[in-house]
Formats: sequence, C-alpha cells, structure tokens
Amino acid sequence: MVKILIVDDEEINRIMLREMLKEVGYNDFIEADNGLQAIEQASTHHPDIVLLDVIMPGMSGIDAAPQIKATSPDCHLPILFITSLDDEQSLVRCLESGGDDFISKPFEKIILHAKLKAHERTRNLSLEIIDKNRSLTYFQLEVERNHRIVEHIFDNAIGQNAEAAAYFDFYTQPEAQFNGDLFLCEKSPAGGVYLFIGDFTGHGLASAIGAIPVAQLFSVMSHRGLAVGEMATRLNRLLVSLLPADIFCVANIVEIYPNGKNFTLWGGGLPRVAVKTPDQQIRLLIDSQHMPLGILEDYEFENDTQNFEIESGDTVLFYTDGLMESQHAEYGMLGEEGVEKWFTQRASVNAQLLVDKAELYRAGAAAEDDITIVLFQSQPFNFNVPVHTITPVPFDLSFHLTVTHIKDSQLIEQIVSIVHSIQGLAAIRSEFFTVITELVNNSIEHGILGLSSSLKDEPDGFIKYYQLRQQKLESLEQGDIWLTLRRIMPENVLEISLEDSGPGFAPDSLTEDDNVPHGRGFVLIKELCQSLHIDDHGKCITVRMSLQPALTDASASNKVE
Amino acid sequence: MSIKSEVVNESVFIIHVGERFDFSLVIDFRNSYEELDEGIKQIDIDLAATEYMDSSALGMLLNMQKSLADRQLTYRIINARPQIARILQISRFNKKFDIQ
Repeated sequence: MVKILIVDDEEINRIMLREMLKEVGYNDFIEADNGLQAIEQASTHHPDIVLLDVIMPGMSGIDAAPQIKATSPDCHLPILFITSLDDEQSLVRCLESGGDDFISKPFEKIILHAKLKAHERTRNLSLEIIDKNRSLTYFQLEVERNHRIVEHIFDNAIGQNAEAAAYFDFYTQPEAQFNGDLFLCEKSPAGGVYLFIGDFTGHGLASAIGAIPVAQLFSVMSHRGLAVGEMATRLNRLLVSLLPADIFCVANIVEIYPNGKNFTLWGGGLPRVAVKTPDQQIRLLIDSQHMPLGILEDYEFENDTQNFEIESGDTVLFYTDGLMESQHAEYGMLGEEGVEKWFTQRASVNAQLLVDKAELYRAGAAAEDDITIVLFQSQPFNFNVPVHTITPVPFDLSFHLTVTHIKDSQLIEQIVSIVHSIQGLAAIRSEFFTVITELVNNSIEHGILGLSSSLKDEPDGFIKYYQLRQQKLESLEQGDIWLTLRRIMPENVLEISLEDSGPGFAPDSLTEDDNVPHGRGFVLIKELCQSLHIDDHGKCITVRMSLQPALTDASASNKVE
Repeated sequence: MSIKSEVVNESVFIIHVGERFDFSLVIDFRNSYEELDEGIKQIDIDLAATEYMDSSALGMLLNMQKSLADRQLTYRIINARPQIARILQISRFNKKFDIQ
C-alpha cells in the first residue's frame, strides 16, 4: 500500500488531488498545509511519496524539501513539486532542493497517475535494496561470528606439542587465514614423534573444517602409540564418513623413532619426501604410494607403510603442493626438482627461506595454494619428561570387594581405571589388565563360585561355563576379595596380592595341550609377572610385575627392522 | 564397538574386536561366526582396536576353531598391537593362527 503525503496550503487543492488519486486506486493519504507540518507528518508516518506545494505561507516547499528527504535517510523518498510556476529558474531551484519531479496545476489525471507509478517503482526498488542490505549485513555478521567461533576452536583443537615441535623447523600459514593445510606434531609413547602433514582439497573454511576431527583423532592415536598404518586406516575411515565426496586430504603420516634416524611413512598424495646429506647431496627421495585420505572405502584402502633410515646430520624435507606449484611467468611451475634444487643449494636452508624464494619466484603473484614446509635435521629426541616415568611416590592401595562389587560387570574396568591414574602405570596397562583380570576372575570363578574349568572341555562347554558363571554370580549372597597393590622399591616392581573368602581350590595344572580351551590364565600370569606365589590352597595369590616398560622400547625397535 | 564383522571379496570373513577382548564378549563373539556363508575360505580376527585381552579371549578363539573344525578354513589374527601379540605369543597361538 502506497502512502502519499499531500502538502498544500489550499484545502481545495488537497481535496482535488486526493479525489483524483482515489479514482486511480490510491487510498492511503496524510496531509499537511505548510512546510513545518509536512516535516512533522513525514517523520511520524513515513510516506512513500510526497506531493509538495512550492509556495506556502510560513515554510515554503523548497525550504521543507531537504528536511522531508532527511526523514527517510536510508531509502529514496520521491518528492513531486506541485507548481504552477513555469519559469526555468524556479524549476531548477525545486530540483536543487531535493525535488524529483513536478506536477503542474491544473492537474491532469493521466499524467499524475503515470508519474506516481514511475516514482512508486523507484521507491520500491529502494525498499528492496534496503531489505537486501539488511540481509547482507546480517549474513556478514553471521559469517564473522562463525569465523571467530571456528578460529577459537582451531586455536584450542589444533596445536603441536610444543616440546616435540621444537625439534622441527617448519612454516605454516597463519591460522586466521583458514587454509586447507594442516601440520600436527605429537610425542609418541616410545619417546619419538608422530607427524601429520596434510592438505585438504579446496581453500578456506570448508576445507579447513576437516582439520578439527583429524587433529583430535591424531592426538588420541599418538597418545596410544598406534602404528602409522593403523593411523592411516582410521583417519581415512573418519574422513570418508565425514567429508563430502569432493573434499579429501593428501597427507604424510610419519613416525620418527627416538633415535631420530628411523622413519615409518604412510604417504598419500603429497610431493615426494627428500632427504639430503650434510654435504648437500640427495640421499633419498621417497614417493608417495597411496591415494589421499577420505576417498577409498575401508576394503579398498591400503595402509602399508614405508620404512627408511637416515644418517646423523641428514635433513628431511616434507612439504605440501603449494610450494612446488609456485609459478614463474617464464620457467613455469617450480616442481619437485625445483624444490629439491633449492633444498640442496646450501646447508642453511630453512623453511622461511624456501617460502621467501617461492615468493620471489612467483614475482609477487599470490600463491595459488597453501604452503606448509617441515624440515627435520636428524637428532635423537630427548624429551624432558620421559613418557614412562613412574611416579616417585610409593603407594599401597587396598581394595575390599564385597558381593555387590563382585557382581558388578564393570569391576575390573574400574580397578584398571584407578590404577591408570597413577603416573607411569599406563605404560603397562595392557599387561596389568590381563594379570588383574586373570587373578580376579580366578578368585571369583574358582574361589568364590566354585566352578571347575573342566566344564569347558565338554562339547559346547565353553558357553555353558560362562552361562553357569552368570547364574551362580546372580544368586551369590556372600563373598569377599581383598586386593592389594603395592609398589616395592628398590626393585621397582608392582606387587599384587589377592585373597578371597572361598574355601580354596587346587589351581589348574598348567596345561601343555594347545587344544584345551582352559588353563591358560596361569600361563599368562607366569609369563607377564616376575613371580607367582599361591598360598593357603589357592586362597591367597601374590604376583610381582616389573614396572620397567621394556616391551614398548623393544617393540619400537622391532618395528623398524 | 565390541564385535563387528564383515565379508570381503566373498571369501574372507573379518571379525573386528573392540578395545577389550574378554569374557563379556563370549556370546557376541560366538554369534558373529554362527551363520558363515559357504564361500568363506578365511577368517581374519582384526585386533587393531584391542588394547586388553584375557585368557577367556584365547579360549574364545580356540573355541571358534573347534566349532568350525569341519570346514576348510584358514585363520589369521591381524593388526595385533605389540602387547596383545605378546599374549598370543606366550600362549603359542602362532601354532593355530597366522599372526600378522
């Protein structure tokens, strides 16, 4: 509905205009008989078009026009002067004061209608623009807000372990310019380092968004010391399930062993890894072997890794496409050979130097892709806090487990989680779990419930055994287990003692028959512990476990071979 | 995830075991291979996710071989972490399983 403000000191003129306009379909009017009143009406009622008499007592139309315009600062408000003047000078003054058009007295209905229609259109266009501007402003604020949120999450979710990162010379683009590149660096439980150097397809927020879950999973896996191939499988699975088909991630996943010389690499689509000797010769070039992460389904995904060894003083170079895709007007793309040439030009090549050279090479043109460069000069890692240091505080933990706890299927999980919280004991968590499970289940099944393992030898006895265990456990009314965990110094062992309220039993003779599905528990305990004592007819068992995590180091060096 | 299984290339049956491989999985583990397709030639036990294992898990593995004894199947244990591989080794499972 178009609202028209009619300003004229002659009432007869106002009536005539109003009636004429009603005939052509307008019926929302406000009126004023002088300039001041017109300004007041305009600012209260916000008309869409103003018909303004030029000569009025008090404030004239020409004086009022700028102020009427000012009541609609954001949106064009058409002012049509009502005039019988025909001298050019006056018409010019009308236009200069903000008028958009004239209607002359005596009024002609057809002309009047046509002019109003035309100005109605410009008013509507202006209103539309305002509306769109408002939406744009809203979206802009929304995007800025989202950026701030994501930036915050990025800051918190993605980071290198500072201690590990100190061993590397690297260049990454500022986080504020969201980019598809990702460099992660974590300590491994074995005392070495894991690296993730990745490049998501595309640019900006959309490609950066995949970085958050990757960083989180990578950190968890590093902490748990997963093998590089397994990391690749899991990251791939995550990205396949998470990302749209057109976004994937080329990446190098690397484990460097504590000696700083042995590497395991899963390479999926990044430029080849280069190793140079201290006298600037290329020692090794290792091509990527796989498709990027986030494309192949589990069954087609290949997680085989490459192992390589470098010498003390060698330098390894990892980088993303952005560096080698640097373009020169004449020489074209820099390429892997170009990067390697710069890399071997002199001894003191660092990441920033490569970035600067690339910028010169592009002759000031912006890089077409994000750039990440990671350099590592071979040296053993010597972390301040060795991952497996056990707490220096001696401890003696006692648990008295009654029938409620014995029935709790989460019992062992809870004991294990209490023990995990002791600094350094996580290193032997797998072995501890096995030992404590065997001991506690032995007490429950043979000591308290009085089950016999020979049940398992009958056909289908294995399942029957566990069904019977369940039944007996449910109807159990009384039973106690006393469990003690004690650290013994200076031997540095964990002593685990267990006593139960059962009548005692003869422990299974250690079976040598590999086909019998029972009797393995004590074999495991004997192997995983330094000593095993059974007293009081099986009511009381004491074992000692070494707290030296020899296994992890041994397994790390095995993997390299 | 505790037990998940899948068939690959119509002939390999893979059983993925979760973080804990202990007696709480007795029923699920047995059910996983109960209706094995005729075409299956190989069973892979994937222990990539497994961090904890007890002797009942060993029993379950042997029990599986026993109940499928009338079929010509090869058995592999894949992706075992060092600690888990050690338990398998202590129990001499390499005699009955191809441990990768």
